[in-house]
Amino acid sequence: MAKKSLFIAFLLGVITLGATAYAQQDTADHSDHEMDHSEHSGHDHSEHDHSEHTMDHDEHDHSGHAHSSDDHKGMDHEHDHSMHMHGEHEMLHGDDHSDHAGHDDHHHHHDGHIMDHEGTHIMGQNFDKLPSSCSSISEEIEITVRAGAKYAKKFPGTTFAFDQQQWRVKPCSKITWHFVNEDNVRHQFMMHGLPRYLYHLGMFHLENTGPRTVTGTMIVPAADETYLVHCDISQHMEKGMKAQLVVGNGGEDIPSIPGLTPYVINDVYEAEDLPKVSDKDDAGGKKKDSFTKQITDFFNDNVPFTGLALIGLLFGLVCAPLFAKIITFRKKDTPETA
Amino acid sequence: MRIRFFLAILALCGSVTAINAQASLKLPETVKVSPAALNTEPICDPKISASWRKAQEIEGVKIRESNLCSPDNPYLIAAAVKGTNNISMATLMETNLSPDAIIKTDDIDGDGDPDRITIKLEVVELNGKTPDFEGVLPTFDIAPGVQPGAWVFAPKTSGMSTENFESIKANSLLRLPSPVIRVEVGDIVQIVLENTHYLPHTIHLHGVDHPFTHSDGHVAGGDGVPQTNEMFLMPGESRVYEFQPRQSGTMLYHCHVQTHTHLAMGLVGMIIVEENRPNNWLQTLNVGGGHVRYPSVAIQEDFDEEFDLHYHAMDKELHEIIQKYNDPRLIARDMNRLYDITDAKEDYFTLNGLSFPYTLRESLVIAEPDQKIKLRVANTASEMVALHTHGHKATITHYDGIEHNPIAQITRDVYALAAAQRLDLTLNTTNDGLHSYGEGIWLFHDHREKGITTNGMNPGGNVSAIVYKKYLNEIGLPMGLGVDISKYFTHEFHARKLPIWQDLDEAGSLGAPGVRTGFDPEIQNTLFNLLGGFIVGILIYLIIAKRQTALATITGVTSKLRSSKGDKANG
Ligand SMILES: [Cu+2]
Ligand SMILES: [Cu+2]
Repeated sequence: MAKKSLFIAFLLGVITLGATAYAQQDTADHSDHEMDHSEHSGHDHSEHDHSEHTMDHDEHDHSGHAHSSDDHKGMDHEHDHSMHMHGEHEMLHGDDHSDHAGHDDHHHHHDGHIMDHEGTHIMGQNFDKLPSSCSSISEEIEITVRAGAKYAKKFPGTTFAFDQQQWRVKPCSKITWHFVNEDNVRHQFMMHGLPRYLYHLGMFHLENTGPRTVTGTMIVPAADETYLVHCDISQHMEKGMKAQLVVGNGGEDIPSIPGLTPYVINDVYEAEDLPKVSDKDDAGGKKKDSFTKQITDFFNDNVPFTGLALIGLLFGLVCAPLFAKIITFRKKDTPETA
Repeated sequence: MRIRFFLAILALCGSVTAINAQASLKLPETVKVSPAALNTEPICDPKISASWRKAQEIEGVKIRESNLCSPDNPYLIAAAVKGTNNISMATLMETNLSPDAIIKTDDIDGDGDPDRITIKLEVVELNGKTPDFEGVLPTFDIAPGVQPGAWVFAPKTSGMSTENFESIKANSLLRLPSPVIRVEVGDIVQIVLENTHYLPHTIHLHGVDHPFTHSDGHVAGGDGVPQTNEMFLMPGESRVYEFQPRQSGTMLYHCHVQTHTHLAMGLVGMIIVEENRPNNWLQTLNVGGGHVRYPSVAIQEDFDEEFDLHYHAMDKELHEIIQKYNDPRLIARDMNRLYDITDAKEDYFTLNGLSFPYTLRESLVIAEPDQKIKLRVANTASEMVALHTHGHKATITHYDGIEHNPIAQITRDVYALAAAQRLDLTLNTTNDGLHSYGEGIWLFHDHREKGITTNGMNPGGNVSAIVYKKYLNEIGLPMGLGVDISKYFTHEFHARKLPIWQDLDEAGSLGAPGVRTGFDPEIQNTLFNLLGGFIVGILIYLIIAKRQTALATITGVTSKLRSSKGDKANG
């Protein structure tokens, strides 16, 4: 009996050890998330929080802003929808930030859908129609969203991202989104799940065909809800360009948002035996004495909690009852034979 | 008592074997798969409007009739001819193109057509992985239910990557193969590659006259080789490839990053440099290849119709990599380091991005008697293609875009295309027993027999047909005299679950057999062995159990014998 309880104690020890090792990774991630959260809330809750961003704005997208405010005015007019041959062909040597003046002629309206000749889209814009759940607009805020490959760098295993992965707003807020595309390819800011009586197909959509800014305004309903925001270009959401808008206390989290919510389906990572500097005894590098080398090598091999170790742990757990049985059998045997 | 029990068991075994032997005389019945149990697709895509087939004029562009089941979108053709900058928003909205997708300006030589052409291409993944659910998206079937992961150059599009919000099917511009590009000799062409994908790519203009590099360094020449003349084009970046071709011909463009995998993944298309003519507005993109509904002036001079035929092949294992992982690092690991193309074999064989039966929807060569038809054929598989035309012998006029000496041109019925090779064929439909044997439905296909399979299932692969109008029905399908083709439009056929010969006769004599009633011979043998062993076991048991008695008897007898002997000795 003493032997058995000793074994169980040992088993428990192993389990806790494994669990803590795993939890440590997890908590590390969590603290990251929390940092993100606080950053976000710092951003989003302040009503006109341009103070933090103004410098960037001045540098990058003033022209873009000017352009999109033109969009609003242009909205109510009927325009000639035909597109004319450009007098001069843009040779596309650089980006064409500056070329924004006088584009009002090319806007197209279709189900509240505006597209200009550069392919900049605004869909589901709503300046004044209150959701039935709201008696008035709670606050008017502006949020700048940046999109680009560079924002994915902090999330290993992703390619594209927004600069933030979550925004928090009050119920019945009127939000003006400035969507800044910082890549030289198309990106979208697409929000789903909005009330269909206000938003065609329940969505609000901004799209930039290149490095430009597009601005659109919408009003969120009163209910606590979490809305998916993503880019629908093939593989952009899957490879990181995904976020959520939390209204009030929010609803259920959207999965697979980088750094924020876990993936539904996870890749399996296996440690690879890749060459390391310490493996190489080159004359140029600092040579470690043999004792230090042995110690560091030992830890190099043992510290990372690899997938294989996890499998080992699972295997151990499954086999433990079996071992326990063998031991008890032996104990039963002992008195008989003795 | 024990012996009686033993006999009872023996008797039972005997009777079971006898009954079973009787049952096994009859072989199992044929199991017929009911058509109602099948996931059958309509033979023609119902979303395609019949009006698309008609000859029509859009934006002043006269578009030819195309009697296929899935004709090209005429608005898309108008946009490709005029440029997205020279058409109305209403037309543009019918195409899904981005307004800056095709820009045509500047009639530099004053001959009535634009000479500065900008074509914007994005890099699009089809049938890729998602961390959100089991399954792939946006989906593109090369045959019903067959969805290899793929990458394509796609015209720059606008809006969603899928058909609509409810669907995970790719929108019609996002498809295999990469689109056929047409430019004119002397055009100043800019292909703008916008890398919307998560891996680096480039464009290499294979066979097209292009500079190694431009002196001003702002734009690339178009050789696309990261090891010699340009850097990887990373995700989110764009690059302009500028060239002014001096020679005409059927050429290729493809990605030159890790070409051994990226080309096979689908980043390869045909690019055709047309001869310079006045008023030569070209259909800059032929999305999906096939029938050219707005051929160039030079082609109209010499031919009745023109078709682009792009042959490709895929190794299933390569195309599964992007469906296995979401993390681009794992994809790069498998593609660059674990996948070994020297161990690869091709499983899917496509014509214009599709395999049979979808080839019937859009890659038929529709012919009439006494026509001259231009076929531009390209092979981008890693092995050769042995293209064969039934009922016709066509003439090879060009190899790799260069005209063959007219006196030495070869007329034949199997056309060998090495990897990356292009042939221009002239199909003459004069019924003279040589060029054509007359009207009909005449297959054309790869004559390496695996080429007419889809992952080994026949019919499949790159089979299509030359169909004379007389044999075309009202929905653009050949009026076959053979078997009903609807069963090939099922997922089950391609999943190897449909015994297609079940309907060859009333009795279903070549259908799938059911299972035997009773035991099949193999199980019977096993049972006999088991029974035999069991009986032997019981015998051994009986012997051992009765050991004591037996021994006792034996010792009894011997002792009796001994004692009698002893008695005798004593006595
Ligand atoms: Cu994007
Ligand atoms: Cu590539």
